[in-house]
Amino acid sequence: MINFKEMEKAIAELNKEKSMKLAKEAIKEGIDPSKAINEGFAKGLERVGVKFENLEYYLPQLIISADIMNKVLEIFQPHFKGEDESKITKGTIMLGTIEGDQHDIGKNIVKALFKASGFKVHDLGRDVPVKEFVERAKELNPDIIGVSALMSTTMARIPDLISELKEMDLRKQYKVMVGGAPVLPKWAEEIGADGYGENASAAVRVAEQLIDAKKEEG
Amino acid sequence: MSMITFRTVLKRSRTGQRLKEEDFDKTLSEELLKLTKKYEIEYNPERIIPSDNDLADRVFQAGLEFFLNLGVFCRDTGRIIKFTKEETISALNNAPHSLTFGMGKDERTMVYRDIEDQRDPFCAFTAVGQPVPENLFVKVAQSYAQEPLADTFSGPLIRTLEGEPIKSGDPSEVEAAIWNVLQLREASRRAGRPNIGMHDFISNAESTDAIIAATNPKFGALENDGVLVAATAEMKVDYERLKKVPYLLQSGHNIGSLFGPQLGGMGGGPESLAILLVSYHLLGVTVFQADWHISFPTHIHQACNTTSELLWVTSVYNQALSRNTHLLKMTCAYTAAGPCTEMVVYELIAHSAAATVSGADMDPAAVARNRLPERCSGMEARIAGETGHAVSRSRMNREEVNQLVKKLLPRYEEAIPQAPKGKKFSECYDLDTVTPTYEYVELYDKIKNEVILNA
Repeated sequence: MINFKEMEKAIAELNKEKSMKLAKEAIKEGIDPSKAINEGFAKGLERVGVKFENLEYYLPQLIISADIMNKVLEIFQPHFKGEDESKITKGTIMLGTIEGDQHDIGKNIVKALFKASGFKVHDLGRDVPVKEFVERAKELNPDIIGVSALMSTTMARIPDLISELKEMDLRKQYKVMVGGAPVLPKWAEEIGADGYGENASAAVRVAEQLIDAKKEEG
Repeated sequence: MSMITFRTVLKRSRTGQRLKEEDFDKTLSEELLKLTKKYEIEYNPERIIPSDNDLADRVFQAGLEFFLNLGVFCRDTGRIIKFTKEETISALNNAPHSLTFGMGKDERTMVYRDIEDQRDPFCAFTAVGQPVPENLFVKVAQSYAQEPLADTFSGPLIRTLEGEPIKSGDPSEVEAAIWNVLQLREASRRAGRPNIGMHDFISNAESTDAIIAATNPKFGALENDGVLVAATAEMKVDYERLKKVPYLLQSGHNIGSLFGPQLGGMGGGPESLAILLVSYHLLGVTVFQADWHISFPTHIHQACNTTSELLWVTSVYNQALSRNTHLLKMTCAYTAAGPCTEMVVYELIAHSAAATVSGADMDPAAVARNRLPERCSGMEARIAGETGHAVSRSRMNREEVNQLVKKLLPRYEEAIPQAPKGKKFSECYDLDTVTPTYEYVELYDKIKNEVILNA
């Protein structure tokens, strides 16, 4: 008989083999994939997030946990019913550092934590031109566009993304989150961003709120 | 002995082994874990400043082995730049023992420092690019340049020039870079030190063309002022930053390498971070051909380096480098608290004492997590610099500093997540005389006296 606590423990302890074995057993036993994920594996990822906040785990362990979750999802994928995917992912976020900014350590931390928190993440990488953000958003249709900068001179390009989305009449389709060392909440508000995270954990919490708000807006 | 030239570095960046970036990251974290175990490196909260030479040597050996095994990832080509042990040791042996900044009366020379060195640390005072309004830039920079212990200085940054945003990669960046050096030299003149060296004379620019434009001596940069070349992520370099190197090798400016790995990031915990920092210095001396090195490890969540773990890291990697190389190395304090608070004074004293006794020179200070506008002043540099001088002149040894730091940590460490933002420059300095307020001086004196009594 499948035990959700075991799933939680397996992923929290970064045990890839055990996690995959439990996912396969769940399928054999006819467990609803979204239930296995939400009541088992996702809770394990939450524990990983707490360990990361307390520095019991570091970024490499956070990345490993997200990779294990991806493997688990691959196993469940053929067994999802239509509505399952929306039940197991909190939302979709597209990330990148703005044009001119090669510094992606912060973006990669946020990416790992988003993945480990149950978001579907599209990573556009670093030094992403505004036009590419917009084109890829049209293609990938994320709930949230997350853009970051480490330098004040590259941060100054972030408002161009918001302007471009407005000009293309796409602004209302996506929530825009901003972050990075020089970015402050007041500035985020001034440029018309929807959300700002002081650090990776805060970014995840803000993203969850934005997804809820987006759902309410319909 | 073989010598690594920049041409060799470039060639290897084009011909080295190809690797996916995520595979490089994976290898990096696995290798760090492996070497931490192999060399039995262990963080001990009871020994924030270890007096263990063998530990320092093991950290150095682990850092060297890590550097040789992993290499350096070039992001533009997706290839690994590797060096042999002989080449790396040769680069270390050929690195300068001393480096001069400034001219005439303002000339200062940084020399290699050892553990428990009784010579004063070199003090490169800096606002670490803290954002300030355009009209305060010169006064803030002057507050650093005029400090008697400042051997060199550098400035804050501006985000707009005459109201227009400065954007990376567009002409405004070149304009801002030139403006930056003009204003810094003006600040040094106002401080009565017209030829003081600037160890980093451009904080407003990121792209190499803007930086090169600003080095024109007409704008105020001296031939031996410094330009920093940074790694973009853990053990990774890119061509945009590497472009500076061939120019600087010809222009004669002092080349500084810059690294800021995070505790809790790809470098992992305190033990592996110490290994990574040693390795970064080897990257600096080979790939960047750097004359001196600045590092600022920080906490991934708290963006400061005054926690117990990071003071241990700061001490251990500097001890490792001091015992096994003659590299010129400085470390930058990142505090959680802002100016004119008791907490910032405690943080600065703890960090400076830990760094100085371990053989580091000083590059203080990034204050209030280095992100709040106008939270920076020459006073924080003064506090750090005076501490460093006091530690060396009073001949404190590592155990004495360990005891001191252990008394200081309970005064601030628990408050780090809710650290006070402190006062803005315009609130803790008299803007007419560019001097710290009585409140700030008195606050510092009070804590200084308390620390002296405790030490």
